[in-house]
Amino acid sequence: MSAPVISSLHESAIGKTVENRRGFLKKSGMFMLGMTQPVALAANSVKNHPLWTMIIDLNRCMGCQSCVIACKARSRAGRGIFYTRLVERHSDRLPEPKRFFLPVLCNHCKSPRCVSACPSDAITKLENGIVLVDHARCTGSGRCVSACPFGSIQLDPSRGNRAFKCDFCLERIRAGLMPACVEACPSRARLFGDMNRPQGEFAAYLGHEIPQSAGRPGPRVLYVTLRNEVGALLNDGRT
Amino acid sequence: MTDERKKIAIAGPRDPSRRHALRCCAMAAAAMFAGTETVLGQPASGQMEDLDILPGRGVNRLDKDIKIVHSVCLGCNARCGNRVVVKEGRLIDVSGNPYHPYNTMGKPADYAVPVLESISYPGSVCGKAKEVSNYVYNPYRILRPLKRAGKRGSGRFESIEWDQLIEEITFGGQNFRHLGEKRRFPGIKDLDSDTPIDPSAPELGPARNGFVFMTGRLQPGRKAFIDRFVKGAVGSINRIGHTDICGLGFRMGNYAFTEGRQVELKADPWAADYILVFGANIYAALQPGVNTYGAIVAKRHSQGRMRFTIVDPRAQEALVHADGWIPIRPGQDGAFAMGMIRWIIEHGAYNLEYLAAPNQKAAWAVGNNAYSNATHLVITDPAHPGKGRFLRMRDIDPGAKGEQAEAFVVLSRDGRSVSFLQVDTARLDVATEVAGPRGRGIKVKTAFRIMKEGVMEHGLDEYARLAGVDRSVIEDTARQFTSYGPRAAVCQYHGAGNYVGGTYAAYAIACLNALVGNVERKGGYMSSGGAASRWKKGVYDLVDFPGRRRTRGVRISREKARYEASSEYRRKKAEGGTGYPASRPWFPFTKGGLSVETLAGIDRGYPYSCKILFTYFFNPLYSIPGGYRFRETLEDADKVPLHVSIDIGVNESNIYADYIIPDVTYAEGQYGWLPPHAPAFRFTGIRTPCIEPLTGRTRDGRPFCLETFLIDIARASGLPGFGKDVIQGHGGHTHDLVRAEDFYLRGFANLAFNANIPKASKQEQAFVEANYPVARFRKILPDGIWKRTCYMLARGGIFKGYEEVFDGTRFRYGIRKVALYNERLATTKDPFNGSPFPGSLRLRLPGILEEGAGNQDEDYPFYLVTHKMNVHTQSRTVWHRWAMEIFPENFVVMNEEDAAELGIGDGDMVRLLSRGNPEGIIGRAKTGNLVRKGCVAVSFHYGHTQLGASRLEVPGGDKVFLGGKRVFDGRYLIPDPALAAGLNPNQVSDLDEVLMRTPMIDPVGGIPDFSTTRVKVLKTDQ
Repeated sequence: MSAPVISSLHESAIGKTVENRRGFLKKSGMFMLGMTQPVALAANSVKNHPLWTMIIDLNRCMGCQSCVIACKARSRAGRGIFYTRLVERHSDRLPEPKRFFLPVLCNHCKSPRCVSACPSDAITKLENGIVLVDHARCTGSGRCVSACPFGSIQLDPSRGNRAFKCDFCLERIRAGLMPACVEACPSRARLFGDMNRPQGEFAAYLGHEIPQSAGRPGPRVLYVTLRNEVGALLNDGRT
Repeated sequence: MTDERKKIAIAGPRDPSRRHALRCCAMAAAAMFAGTETVLGQPASGQMEDLDILPGRGVNRLDKDIKIVHSVCLGCNARCGNRVVVKEGRLIDVSGNPYHPYNTMGKPADYAVPVLESISYPGSVCGKAKEVSNYVYNPYRILRPLKRAGKRGSGRFESIEWDQLIEEITFGGQNFRHLGEKRRFPGIKDLDSDTPIDPSAPELGPARNGFVFMTGRLQPGRKAFIDRFVKGAVGSINRIGHTDICGLGFRMGNYAFTEGRQVELKADPWAADYILVFGANIYAALQPGVNTYGAIVAKRHSQGRMRFTIVDPRAQEALVHADGWIPIRPGQDGAFAMGMIRWIIEHGAYNLEYLAAPNQKAAWAVGNNAYSNATHLVITDPAHPGKGRFLRMRDIDPGAKGEQAEAFVVLSRDGRSVSFLQVDTARLDVATEVAGPRGRGIKVKTAFRIMKEGVMEHGLDEYARLAGVDRSVIEDTARQFTSYGPRAAVCQYHGAGNYVGGTYAAYAIACLNALVGNVERKGGYMSSGGAASRWKKGVYDLVDFPGRRRTRGVRISREKARYEASSEYRRKKAEGGTGYPASRPWFPFTKGGLSVETLAGIDRGYPYSCKILFTYFFNPLYSIPGGYRFRETLEDADKVPLHVSIDIGVNESNIYADYIIPDVTYAEGQYGWLPPHAPAFRFTGIRTPCIEPLTGRTRDGRPFCLETFLIDIARASGLPGFGKDVIQGHGGHTHDLVRAEDFYLRGFANLAFNANIPKASKQEQAFVEANYPVARFRKILPDGIWKRTCYMLARGGIFKGYEEVFDGTRFRYGIRKVALYNERLATTKDPFNGSPFPGSLRLRLPGILEEGAGNQDEDYPFYLVTHKMNVHTQSRTVWHRWAMEIFPENFVVMNEEDAAELGIGDGDMVRLLSRGNPEGIIGRAKTGNLVRKGCVAVSFHYGHTQLGASRLEVPGGDKVFLGGKRVFDGRYLIPDPALAAGLNPNQVSDLDEVLMRTPMIDPVGGIPDFSTTRVKVLKTDQ
């Protein structure tokens, strides 16, 4: 058993594995939940604006698809367009078979490749951490789609073929609501909060599962890796 | 926990922008409850001590024109609550009801919290619940009644006016003469007769029993309404459910274990230290569902507070966290459990203190509500007329009187034969002779000893061989299971026992719980706490009415009926034989709900013929393993002279119906009062409409649906119980039953009255009246009781917290006794050979299951195991658009070694064939290590041919189907090929070659076989 770590998705590793159309992946080696060491402590002090962050505890994720459907119910995205998905992997490198579910969504990266790839400056990294597409500016070039290492941006033909992705349900946050996927998660594997003013179980995770500074100011989606042998294998960093 | 601590802050005190958001919400809410001075509860300040509740998680925006209803979901039968959001009359979203334990991992909001405050409380729902709008607004829903316009199954229908429909079904007649069918179709009125259905066998009951009403997804509420019609008004005994294809196997094990008192018991996931999961799909299906049971297991497991092991041929989703997976051979859960019991007995690892407690008081003293009969003495003396039953005080003391005479006998520690009530501990493992009357000895054994002898008939190696696991796996599992004291428990569900031989398999699994002494105890094997209130009587009498009929006779499924009481038996005996075998099985020892044997009975006209078949919300040809066999039954007008279906669409079964009555969905009706599933909780969820019905209306404005249909048929037929002055109220007043609400609102009134629910505040009453469609009918109830009902409706039911059902570790509710030896089972005769069934655990049943379930068959080398998926319910969620987007098809899941041997690659198309269906079915292979070698796994939900998957011919159909012209091309329904994707494993299930090729069933309980069909897998180019 390894100690649980919270980590961001390792960008180079995930690029190979998250592209799929059906929610299933071909078995092509073990999926890697990248960096095991917590992201370095940031020097910035607590600011006045919120820093929205999602923690996903894989030790609670049942792979039930509630988040995926809740997201879909809210986004009403076109057929085959998902702002969040569950990637399923299994490994034959373990003594006995295991299943492994990884919820994937826009990572709201620190230096998002989609932002620099966009020819029309339609994608912005907000001060609150959220990476947002301005659909009035988006021309549907699709450069962000190929730039995203997580496969988390798609062009939606049902909406003028413009780029769509997770925005942490910004409208809901503004109305005092949790993102739809967080509200729907039965086992509360998805926790959401303001890194600058953490509360409740979100704060407890920052205090106990990981250093409060983890992920700041990096990607805004942090994962608590599996404590079982799958997690151990992943934390070895082998692929 | 105080209310204050449970309050949810929408905005933290240090966040001015979010505080602003709260004010907006409050203002919107105030606007919504026009005429009331309402504000949302203030946000809690200070530290959030309860980490389970996150601030602002669950708020729904209360914009203008938004309505909110707390009701109960029916995405599956798990019975979670829901909070439905409706905008301008259209259902737009759903989340969880925070008062409901099933939406809050068992920690609901305090029942006293004002509903307007609760709006900011969170509640989760699963994906199935979120799909409600796709279900309700599906274009293939029917809104008006249909009448067959071609031969049965032709797919040709026409619209029929309501009044004409009622007349034809009431009075019968040559209603299909225009199709060239000269036959007279029967009407309900024909069956309103007390003449025997079979003059040569009067015990079968009156002609009324020719009316068979089969129910698919039925729940309390509508069940009461249908029973009133079928049993009380028509007087037929044949209102038969579908428990058999739901999951009768584990229920039969519990039925034997609890002496019929309770069929659902599960490990308590809120307090168990260890759960051994037998065939329960805990992260995908189960009841309570993934939203409750799975969620609390995942959470507690993530916190290191419990461990669990899965026994299942298939690597279900819960393998992600499971501490072990035992990919057992299908159909051998019983062998595995008996192996564990053998180890436990041999190592003295059982809970002696618990097992030696001979009565309920003694069990209570050691921390349980239920005691076991392990120490009770059973007469084993072949010379004694009572052989096989329990020794009672009257057997040893003819002078014993009254209750004392009937008391069971145990051996006290000093060896005296005493009443089980007389001592608080008794001897456990004994075979002896006790002194009977006149000094004559009677040979006896304790129940425990009989169980032990059955278990010891086979060695661990034999059990391991049958279960297809290493002996060490059984030993290790038994060691682990017994290392937590009574805080380890079994969770068995549909996979455990849903096959031939399942009664005894599931009984063995249930007995594991008695051995660790966890029954009806916190963290152990527990029943549900039951309903929080009673609907039948109180303010109104909803059961009795003038002219109410009492049902008589034998059900066409022969459930709960003794063959030995039949004329057939007497006739056969009089002809010089033993009276055996019966023509088909009878099921005196079953929980019942035998839909398969009902259809088999209809097919064979045994023990009598069906005259009129009503099917409600039921798709048997799709949902029964081997259901395809009954196509010919439903096609045949001699076997089913009239078939009326009540449903929301045209499915694989009612395509053969003569009439299809459109029904409302659970968002528009399907009123209900829903008690919890096992384990633990005690509540009554209330389902009321969230939106107005989308179906057509009668001339007097009632929606087309089940209730309107039954009311109008009953009134046209002159049956009692419906119409004017049929409900007795307080003070001798009588009331009419002419619309659904006349019944259900009075049921709600009884529930509120009996539970002593307080009156709603003005604000809460205003909330209900502004938001709930049912409030349109408030005048049915007097003002005072309406106010109480409002309090309950506002919260979506009557709820209690988890801790309230316990006294220390003891469950306050549930059952009080379990049996290691079941006397009634031991004295029930097998109708095929007249020999009694074993009264305790036995691996093989003489003459029936010599080889156990799932015989080897070289031509058909693979076991086919079936299962549910996390985003689906059995047969009706193909309309869940997002589920179908995530998983557009299902798969033939194979072990990669098997696949490689057959040259089958991942993604190849394969054909599955069986002896039952040699043509087979085709699906896409998915290979890997997620199923035991030698097995293939296929989920349900896919492989539809109807529900929009096929073209239908319905002139004017654009007025019948919800999608209108979108789904109609002239007179033809335009199918959606996506709805036909994948395959349905039930289409290839084996049939019973001995019993007229009807589907396979367990001879004791009537359990259909979901996991031991043998198939061949062929690669195909199709």
